[in-house]
Amino acid sequence: MKVTRRDLLVWSAGATAGLLFTPVPWKLLDDVSIWSQNWPWIPQPTRGPVDVKLSFCTLCPNGCGMRVRMAGGWPVGVAGAGCHPVSRGALCPLGFAAHQLNWHPRRLSRVCYRGNTSSWGEARVAFTKACGEGPIMIIDGHPGRAASSAFETFVQRRGSYRVVPGQETRALAPYGTWSGIPAAALGYDLENAGTIVSFGAPLLDGWGTPGRLTRLWAERAAGLADPQLHLIQVEPSFSRTAARAWQYVTIRAGGEGAVAEGVARVLLEEHLVPARGPMPSLTLVEVAEQAGVSTDAIRDLARTIVARPPVVAVADDNNPAIAALNVVLGAVGARGGIVRRSKHIRQDVCAEAAIRGMRAVLIDSTVPWDFVPQTDAEVFRFAAWDGGSTKADWLLPAPGFLEDLTDVPTAPTSGMETYAVAPSLAEAPTEVQSAAQFLSSIDPTLVTVDKVIHTRCSEIFRQRMGTLWGQDVTPVAKFVSVQKLEEELWKGAVWIGEPHHAGGLRCQLNDWPEAIGPARTSNASPPWLVPVLPSLASKLYQESGLRESPEGRSA
Amino acid sequence: MSARYGMVIDLDRCTGCGACMMACAAENNVPPVPRATPRTGLTPMLVRKVSNGGEGVDRREVFIPIMCMHCERETPCVGVCPQQAVEVDKATGIVMQMPQRCLGCRYCMTACPYHARYFNWWDPQWPAGMEKALNPGVAVRMRGVVEKCNLCHARLHSATQKAAATGKREINPADYVPACVEACPTAAIRFGNLADKHDPLSLEVRSPDTFRFLTRLGTEPKVYYKSKEAWVRALAESNSGSGVETKRG
Repeated sequence: MKVTRRDLLVWSAGATAGLLFTPVPWKLLDDVSIWSQNWPWIPQPTRGPVDVKLSFCTLCPNGCGMRVRMAGGWPVGVAGAGCHPVSRGALCPLGFAAHQLNWHPRRLSRVCYRGNTSSWGEARVAFTKACGEGPIMIIDGHPGRAASSAFETFVQRRGSYRVVPGQETRALAPYGTWSGIPAAALGYDLENAGTIVSFGAPLLDGWGTPGRLTRLWAERAAGLADPQLHLIQVEPSFSRTAARAWQYVTIRAGGEGAVAEGVARVLLEEHLVPARGPMPSLTLVEVAEQAGVSTDAIRDLARTIVARPPVVAVADDNNPAIAALNVVLGAVGARGGIVRRSKHIRQDVCAEAAIRGMRAVLIDSTVPWDFVPQTDAEVFRFAAWDGGSTKADWLLPAPGFLEDLTDVPTAPTSGMETYAVAPSLAEAPTEVQSAAQFLSSIDPTLVTVDKVIHTRCSEIFRQRMGTLWGQDVTPVAKFVSVQKLEEELWKGAVWIGEPHHAGGLRCQLNDWPEAIGPARTSNASPPWLVPVLPSLASKLYQESGLRESPEGRSA
Repeated sequence: MSARYGMVIDLDRCTGCGACMMACAAENNVPPVPRATPRTGLTPMLVRKVSNGGEGVDRREVFIPIMCMHCERETPCVGVCPQQAVEVDKATGIVMQMPQRCLGCRYCMTACPYHARYFNWWDPQWPAGMEKALNPGVAVRMRGVVEKCNLCHARLHSATQKAAATGKREINPADYVPACVEACPTAAIRFGNLADKHDPLSLEVRSPDTFRFLTRLGTEPKVYYKSKEAWVRALAESNSGSGVETKRG
């Protein structure tokens, strides 16, 4: 049989038509589509046994409780831990992506000396030499930790120890000055307040322990026509807190102290409070001019805030006029006001920006990146992430999020004393060291962080006071051994001390203090303490326009 | 028994912190694409800021988390998909998106009245080594497909597995909570089974303060919003745009 050209064409057409009725071309199309979308360089999540561990966020001193989901030995997810008595299961937005920070492009991975790669050995030699040549200073951002004890021990014979307090701690400084009690031992008893008057403090936007006030506000104020908690925001800009406040009072920038004086004058003149004290120096007309509000509005504000006691005024920063208003309101040392949470905290000296007479300055990684000392001394700065344009001579890579063992002392604004341990959950790169490890390598006799933690656990056990909040709530007195107590703390439990000592704090006003303008003029962005945000946060805030990102800020 | 999972978002409680966005993106392995713009980015949960247009003491603002509304009837994205990559799961009421089937035509994005769908423009990439920090329960989606909220379906899967391991058919409701609900610090986002008359959410959706967006389309979304403020409730039938202050607008 002769095969013609026509037969060949017919056969080809038939084969093509027949092929279309088979799954082959469609399967091929599907495979090509999947293959072209699944390139081998697309990362796949690590597989491994999934486990959940309790720990604490160490990005700021508030130490919110976290449930960390682990897979294959690495943190893969973070959520709030509901068993934490202060943060109560809430985290700030950064906390949810904090485990990704360790891979941030600006993560420090090598020792730098004036912009050039160096080594830990050279840094050690330089610091040892500096210690031998003159006094040194160690600056700490989260005082009260076990590492802080190591810092203090190291500088005992070599120089001085200084702290950089956060804005919330600075806001409590006037009470410390007037009462002689360290500001670090004071806190707010917000849970029992009836009215909170915030003078520019971003109460619903990351102030203090972020979950504490948002939970409280959600339970007692949000969406209620007659809330149990009146949140009044006095502020120049329409912030997130102002948007959700029960009442918003708009003022001129820098007029917070003047408004506090005006309110205090009305309270004293109209005998709305039992307190007697010096009358503020500003008249209501002067207050109205400075703050950009009418005298009637100030009178209304004064009458409104005393309608639902107890009342407490919260300042954004150190502002003695607002602290004096609290004295007039009787909120100092009273339920629902400013309370003394601990008897044992000693006074730390704050670091000044200008440092003189030092041979070297060591800055711990907990110090906010914005703190830049003006000094001729050799600066050794520890940091996990490079916040940009540092003036430090030595830039030393520190452990990142959950990469180092640390303990978590009481949060700055908390009304109750707490203690917790945040163990290392992620493997740190080999080239990073904490400041405490660095100092231990120079002075091997220096006490280590784990030994200080053990000593503190022993002290809690010895005093047999307070309760441990973990999976269960257990009084410390019920623990039979310090090992058992320590074991629970290492597993993520929180120790809470005895109730606050409201009666142990007294402030007497002899003269009305001078008002100070706020350090931060706008609270459009919350005071993030980390120099960089998780890349995910940068992306989401940029795409949603919800917040301004601090990326690119310089120090 | 079939479930109808839904949400009520109490706008009077939302402070616009963005924790829900962050938790959602971290849970679902959303890549931090630096090249993305507000129009090309991928945000399965997006919080929008809306004001009433007033000034001074008359100014009011509200933050509205927008996500897939999980429409129950005439689901617009399902009807237009030529690949059957979108379907309403009869067992849960969740509108499911299957990236393996999606060919990236984006008809569903056009059809969605809530603009709650996003196209994956780029290969998902993370800094070297960060794959160790990704959620192993959620597969990384490829370039060229559409993504959206699936009510953290991986968590439902885990809850189902957990129930099955103990010989049960029904999951424990506490085991299935989407990431945004878990993250909300003010409990403004509440989640539950609308088919269960004993579920508190079933009662809450009947409140006079509760509303849904664009109900005139008849798609019966299962995401409800709640506010006592009349101007906020009036937003429900607006076509979008008015007063919205986000970049995506």
